[in-house]
Amino acid sequence: MSLVLRNLQRAVPIRRAPLRRRVEMLREILGVQKFDLGIICVDNERVRRINRIYREKDAPTDVLAFPFHENLKAGEIPQPAFPDDYNLGDIFLGVEYIFQQCREHEDYYDVLTVTATHGLCHLLGFAHSTEAEWQKMHQKEQQVLEELGRRVGARLQPLSGGPSAGQGDTGTPRGWEAAPPFGA
Amino acid sequence: MLPLLRCVPRALGSAVAGLRATASSPPLRPLLQPMPRPCIRPFGLLSVRAGSARRPSLLRPREPCACGCSELHTEGDKAFVEFLNDEIKEEKKIQKHKSLPKMSGGWELEVNGTEAKLVRNVAGEKITVTFNINNSIPPTFDGEEEPSQGQKVEEQEPELTSTPNFVVEVIKNGSKKALVLDCHYPEDEVGQEEEDESDIFSIKEVSFQSTGESDWKDTNYTLNTDSLDWALYDHLMDFLADRGVDNTFADELVELSTALEHQEYITFLEDLKGFVKSQ
Repeated sequence: MSLVLRNLQRAVPIRRAPLRRRVEMLREILGVQKFDLGIICVDNERVRRINRIYREKDAPTDVLAFPFHENLKAGEIPQPAFPDDYNLGDIFLGVEYIFQQCREHEDYYDVLTVTATHGLCHLLGFAHSTEAEWQKMHQKEQQVLEELGRRVGARLQPLSGGPSAGQGDTGTPRGWEAAPPFGA
Repeated sequence: MLPLLRCVPRALGSAVAGLRATASSPPLRPLLQPMPRPCIRPFGLLSVRAGSARRPSLLRPREPCACGCSELHTEGDKAFVEFLNDEIKEEKKIQKHKSLPKMSGGWELEVNGTEAKLVRNVAGEKITVTFNINNSIPPTFDGEEEPSQGQKVEEQEPELTSTPNFVVEVIKNGSKKALVLDCHYPEDEVGQEEEDESDIFSIKEVSFQSTGESDWKDTNYTLNTDSLDWALYDHLMDFLADRGVDNTFADELVELSTALEHQEYITFLEDLKGFVKSQ
């Protein structure tokens, strides 16, 4: 099924093919190639607007995930009854925010990949509101990124630095955000 | 005052109303009373009565104008010229760019009427971007709501933006064929508040064309991106970005096209004014 990339911003130049290659690998590692997925690259202004609308947080962020299948258990692969429901949802990458947060020694596409992994895990029901949830999510991200790192020859560390109560599933039904800083 | 002629149909309605008001200003004449034939007359062509010995106005040779010229001058023309004067003045007042804005990235601009061409040579390649500003302003979102009392109409008009389709041609040095990519801006109506998830521009069609021929050959294979593999599409977008055609370029092209369109609009109004009042 399709992976659709959109680049709605001009703050940071984005090369689509390398980003697609990485996300395709992530889908394969997670075993969700059959599902549609949207990756939308947005600037600070737009990600702030979406964050405000869906999470009542008036600030830019790195990633917002909108799952197609809600109430999944952490790591559960959806079992759709209809072909049209083979869809994981959309991940908004705040590429300008990510660029600003990117440290000198970090490769920007590595950080985008790590951030997309975090968003994908949210689409599959992972959360980090409690210590227990965070442990599960962190473990999954680490496992996926290790496998990806092995394939592309990079050392990738998970994004979720620790439990962040109130940042994930509280307040709004479908918005999720990562907990910076990166690589923690 | 707004660029009324372009805000159809609402503004056109008011413009027509203005002409009507001017045209109806002379007192009404009884229908059976013989009609004098002044040079300046509203609805002159309607003045033929049933049974009139005179030939219909359309077929009658023009009477010389009282001013000494041989042209037709009506009250409507006069009002039209006054209207155009005001419109031109207002348009010049809101004109953002007195000269066309420059594109960043070393593009050279050639303008031929409504067609503009941006040319750039990079490392053995010639990249040409062509667009035409005719019909390049998308319709504005015209909601059902009437302006509330006391609310100025001006505040409700969205700024007009020209978003023409543009064609990118890439020619390798010494090659006789060009890779041609037809690019579009999203076709959504301007002024809608909904979150838009379209790319800033998209590639619609890709084909090879011969550089020696000016005519587009429909017999050459044309790749339509509607049903294209997304991975291939992303490579095409990266290919364009590497040649300076990216989101920033697309934004600057909108600014250039909008300025050119506005400039041509004002020129057209001036030509129209000159035509209507020509002696």
